[in-house]
Amino acid sequence: MNLRFAIIGCGKIADQHVQAAQRAGGCELVAVCDREKLMAEQLAERFKIAGVFSDAEEMLEKVRPDAVHITTPPLGHFPLAKVCLERGANVYLEKPFTVTADEARELVALAEQKKLRLTAGHNYQFTSEMMEMRRQVASGFLGGAPVHLESHWAYDLSDATYVAPILGSKAHWVRQLPGQLFHNLISHGIARLAEFLDDDVTISAQAHQSGRLKSLGGQEVKDELRVLLRDGKGTTAFFCFSTQIKPGLNSFRICGPKNSMLIENGSGSIILNRAGSHKSYLAYVLPPLKIARQYLHNARKNFTDCLTGKLHQDFGMKELIARFHASIRDNSPPPIPYREIVLTARIMDEIFSQIRSEEPGR
Amino acid sequence: MSTGFIVSPADKILVTGSNGFIGARVVENLLARGYFNLRCFVRPSSKLKKLQTILARFPAAKAVELVSGDLLSREDCARAVKDASVLIHLAAGFDKSFAGAFMNSALATRNLLDAFLESGRPRRFVNVSSFAVYSNLHLERHALLDENCPLETEPQARNDAYGFGKLKQEQLVREYGAQRGLKWVILRPGMVYGPGKPDLSGRVGINTFGFFIHMGGSNELPMTFVDNCAEAIVLAALKPGVDGEIFNVVDDERLPADEFLARCKAAKNFFSVPAPYPLVKFGCALWEDFFNKRQGQLPPVFNRRRCAAEWGGNTYTNEKLRRLLGWSQKISTGDAMKLFTAQYK
Repeated sequence: MNLRFAIIGCGKIADQHVQAAQRAGGCELVAVCDREKLMAEQLAERFKIAGVFSDAEEMLEKVRPDAVHITTPPLGHFPLAKVCLERGANVYLEKPFTVTADEARELVALAEQKKLRLTAGHNYQFTSEMMEMRRQVASGFLGGAPVHLESHWAYDLSDATYVAPILGSKAHWVRQLPGQLFHNLISHGIARLAEFLDDDVTISAQAHQSGRLKSLGGQEVKDELRVLLRDGKGTTAFFCFSTQIKPGLNSFRICGPKNSMLIENGSGSIILNRAGSHKSYLAYVLPPLKIARQYLHNARKNFTDCLTGKLHQDFGMKELIARFHASIRDNSPPPIPYREIVLTARIMDEIFSQIRSEEPGR
Repeated sequence: MSTGFIVSPADKILVTGSNGFIGARVVENLLARGYFNLRCFVRPSSKLKKLQTILARFPAAKAVELVSGDLLSREDCARAVKDASVLIHLAAGFDKSFAGAFMNSALATRNLLDAFLESGRPRRFVNVSSFAVYSNLHLERHALLDENCPLETEPQARNDAYGFGKLKQEQLVREYGAQRGLKWVILRPGMVYGPGKPDLSGRVGINTFGFFIHMGGSNELPMTFVDNCAEAIVLAALKPGVDGEIFNVVDDERLPADEFLARCKAAKNFFSVPAPYPLVKFGCALWEDFFNKRQGQLPPVFNRRRCAAEWGGNTYTNEKLRRLLGWSQKISTGDAMKLFTAQYK
């Protein structure tokens, strides 16, 4: 029997959810809801969805969906998720999960109390290269616990379409978030660090405004962020968010005591770096050849996956939705452990607190 | 001074999108007619050089108000429409997503319509739409496309977010007319070209993989030079007796796509490859079928509906525009092409 789900928030990301859920299969979108009813109607009309609502409580009462995907701006995430959980619906919350870590903890506690599933829209955790990375870690490739992690996340501001409305109005919802632009964009890059760090994390963050953003009239908004982290076990991490690095870096490096891996999200590649030594000048010849062979393997695999239909632009979201819905149907653990969701929120809280304290007048 | 119009120069006219490609020319046309009591609505992030250059040419334009805001804000809309008698709505969002296009077109229009009826002195709402609202799927190739032709019913399948936004915008305007007595005129410009917009229309072809694929063959282009289009919009705002009418806007002399391309290439040498229509049609059908079979593995950028709309080819008329609005082509196509191609030099 299909899982019946609804969407609250019918903006741009909602389309991706509808299409990814269609590809995931085993589910039926039974209702859409948006405070602005015209928005709900346009989504329903395009995807032939029967239920159209402008009031979330009314939708929950009348439709009683098994799950609700919340795709509103982040300020609405916590209150809406709470209502859904209280009404017995499992919840998929788009990123950023909540505005604060306290809200994240409260939602997790409520979901556990109600025996419902909750997940965060960290879909880049489920791309094929990230899942391969996880398989390698589980197989012991690193040779022990990770020693160091590096996460780069980029957003290109060459096209000002995204940022212009944000800069144009102080009332824009992105400007209302404690971490402003970062708050809406860094969750994916932080979530993959949270997977491998323990809860006892110390953080040092710095942020500034790029020349490009300044030229667009950036006001108080910052767009370059660097963060150093260390957990209780001594695992260290570096996080970089940049709008300026070209080509945009979307990568994750995980280094173990024996071997390391580099995951490049932009090209869907994973490179396994094995420790080893080579005699004399062979050190300059053999390792690049080995890496070249791996890139070739990645290209061949991606090409084959593309031809056979396995590779898809939104593969991560499809996979996350499929796993989340399966966890509800099978009563199995949710796809992202709650510890990681809360830790991601905690790290973001601390980053925003530190960069706000750097601002003049604070 | 113009006479015989529904409003006098003393009445307030609001122009949204006034700093845009067409909007700035509409403002210029109104100023040239002595309509200085204008309110120009612009986005907060807009660089206003284009508009300010035009205003600087008219000393009396000091009376023109510049109002900055977001049409998705009802408060900003209320500020913009206060005491306006005529509203010329040109603001358009070019968001690639359907939701974004809907927000920028339909929601923004709904906010404006509500505000206009509540805080304005509504005499006429001029909605500038697009040829993108038409469906050509069941039209014969080279058949006449006029104001009575069917509208697109599957913009999602056509992958045309902009057209979807415009369809919904028109629908709202007509609903407000039927239910709340709004007096409206809708204009559907064809391919608007002119200095300041160097990109070639998709009806001519597409620039991809580093070269230009000429897909429009020798199809007649529904072209209208930006100043000629602005003239039609201004007449639609001012002429009496045209409430509830829809006008296609095309110039008298319309070039075939291959000639248009040749004139552009004479000004700026670039490589182009012709794609014959049967091949284009076959490729679009194949792409659409692959998209459906693979559940959207490729973006649905090519499909039968788009193929018919952009590359199938139709013939066009401006008979209604001339008859009811008294429009005539002020700038000849020859002069217009010189002005257009000069930007390549």
